[in-house]
Amino acid sequence: MFRIIKKSLRIGVVTGRYQKAEKPELPVTPEAQDKASPFKRSLAIREVDTGSCNACEMEMSALLNPVYDADRFGIHIAASPRHADALVVTGPVTVNMERALKDVYRQTPDPKIVIALGDCAINCGIFKGSYAVTGPVERHIPVDVRIPGCPPRPAEILAALSELRKPKG
Amino acid sequence: MSETMFCDDLLTAAFPGILKHDPICAKSSHFTVPKDRLPAISHYIHTQPSLRGRLTLLWACDDRPVRDSYGLYYLFTLEASHHWVVLSTELAGHDRLFPSITPHIHAAQWYEREIRDMFGLIPQGHPDLRRLVRHEHWPKGTHPLQKDFSWNHVLERQQGEYRFHHIDGEGVFEVPVGPIHAGIIEAGHFRFSVAGEPIMQLELRHFWKHRGVEKLFEQLTLTDAVLLAERVSGDTTVGHSLAYCQAVEALLHLEVPRRANYLRSLFLELERLYNHLGDIGAMCNDTAYALAHAHCGRMKERIMQLNDRLVGSRYLRGVMQVGGVSWDIDRSQFTTIVEELNGIQKDFSEVGAIIFANASLTDRLETTGVLTERIALDHGVTGVVGRASGIDQDVRRDRPFAAYDELPVNVPLYRYGDVRARLRVRGDEIHESIRLIREVRDKIPNGPIASQPCSLPKPGGWTLAAVEGWRGEILYMVMAGEDGRIHRCKVRDPSFVNWPAIQWAVLGNIIPDFPLINKSFNLSYAGNDL
Repeated sequence: MFRIIKKSLRIGVVTGRYQKAEKPELPVTPEAQDKASPFKRSLAIREVDTGSCNACEMEMSALLNPVYDADRFGIHIAASPRHADALVVTGPVTVNMERALKDVYRQTPDPKIVIALGDCAINCGIFKGSYAVTGPVERHIPVDVRIPGCPPRPAEILAALSELRKPKG
Repeated sequence: MSETMFCDDLLTAAFPGILKHDPICAKSSHFTVPKDRLPAISHYIHTQPSLRGRLTLLWACDDRPVRDSYGLYYLFTLEASHHWVVLSTELAGHDRLFPSITPHIHAAQWYEREIRDMFGLIPQGHPDLRRLVRHEHWPKGTHPLQKDFSWNHVLERQQGEYRFHHIDGEGVFEVPVGPIHAGIIEAGHFRFSVAGEPIMQLELRHFWKHRGVEKLFEQLTLTDAVLLAERVSGDTTVGHSLAYCQAVEALLHLEVPRRANYLRSLFLELERLYNHLGDIGAMCNDTAYALAHAHCGRMKERIMQLNDRLVGSRYLRGVMQVGGVSWDIDRSQFTTIVEELNGIQKDFSEVGAIIFANASLTDRLETTGVLTERIALDHGVTGVVGRASGIDQDVRRDRPFAAYDELPVNVPLYRYGDVRARLRVRGDEIHESIRLIREVRDKIPNGPIASQPCSLPKPGGWTLAAVEGWRGEILYMVMAGEDGRIHRCKVRDPSFVNWPAIQWAVLGNIIPDFPLINKSFNLSYAGNDL
């Protein structure tokens, strides 16, 4: 017990120890902000992988570690699309995942926003054109926010999500 | 060399009809065998006490544009000498049937189903001929790796049904999980059959994330395809790109500068470190021990930020190139790395002491998800999972690549095969990786970091390369085509051989322990599905 307390005291608070992201290249549009306004300042996210290489998922998981700690902003991961305000979709949409993606979209209650995370989700990246890839996310479901990068850094994801949470006006 | 002679003599004496070729690389032999003798010869290599070959890779190749045949290749690794034996055979003309070796060698099961899906060649006598990569909605007769199938073909959708194995009986229920999971995890489907709490059967249904990687390789030139290799499995960026580069360098007869080899080892160990730290945390998290998860997540983040500072990518993307590496690390950066890692080692030792002193955690880890050595051997399990089940195997030591011929690796080995053993292997490897990085700093020579490729390989020439990634043995087979393009590239992530084994490790465990067992394997879906 003492060992645990000692360790925690010695480490101290690590939250925020990261290089802040520069202003996102593709800013969150006012329309997307409008669409996100019913969620006020919290955001329940459902992560959907439709064929990424796993790097984008790892960066999403990194958001929950003590360094980024997205929970402090009211951003949390929902275990079911039924509980979600936002879908974060990663990867080019593969032939085999196409139906699952559409199902998840249908199961997410309105109002909802869709965030395409990473270059693959936005334009299929290096997998563009492959027989097993059906096209970017926006070919199947409407996309509101695009966060580019291969993969985007957690700080960049956090910056984009924070833009979404900004109060109107 | 004597080992090569011994193995070759044994095989040619036992099977006079087989034809010996020039070896494809050091410590290897290559034979052409008649198609109908394949099961007998492979069974012999697999069971002969002085050979005990483990089926390491099985791949096919569509050579029809050049010589009207399909090639089939079987790679065995001999147990004692880690020598490679390749058996190859041809299916000429309209022949689409080959004898299955799965009845004798269980490890071949997924490979043969994959070949059937991708090439339309049928393994005769295979006990399970359901589709593997192609899901049920793919049109009949679609075989993407055939040369006359266009890489950007648009697939139609048809109706179809995948037949799972069912267990019938009173009180037996099926629990389907996935392809989309509750956490931030990749896509895969698990079908549990349970009666009460314990799992009676688990069936995997993967390949949701099949992106056509091997076909995409065939559209690229040898030097450009490094980018694709980096994205086969995002968390193994260095492992995959290194294995690919090694294969291409062997094809081009390109000598890699020694400094580059040391830097490659450095990057590979950094990758191992951040993944193992993350895994240990995630395993603790799956037992609801959030404290350890927080500490490990914090340490993992430190290494990823270190990577970012060193090469501008948290995943070390863009560091490998054919002929060497594209980033140099100078003296002062080495000092920074070692100081940072010294700090992390002390930090991790303290967290490790906390983790292993926790009785409730130990209770969850011990005897959970036991993968016995027998099952592991039958599946050809590799890497961390194998080393936790008593399979003493590590490419860094057995077939040294990069700078590992000058950096001896101590390989941790545990026998019990439960979740705790896999956690211990990872913990030991973290200390070992940090030690190796210190050794790299002490031993690294000065010199150039890359040599330029200056020739084109002979079309049809092929070679194999193996790298011990953090999950286990990564294999690449690259066959050159015309004008420096790729004719065929076979990628094998360790996940491909380890996934089927998880179906056995969960038996008798309760479903709530499945996430923990799955995490302790931590296999890649992307690297498996390709």
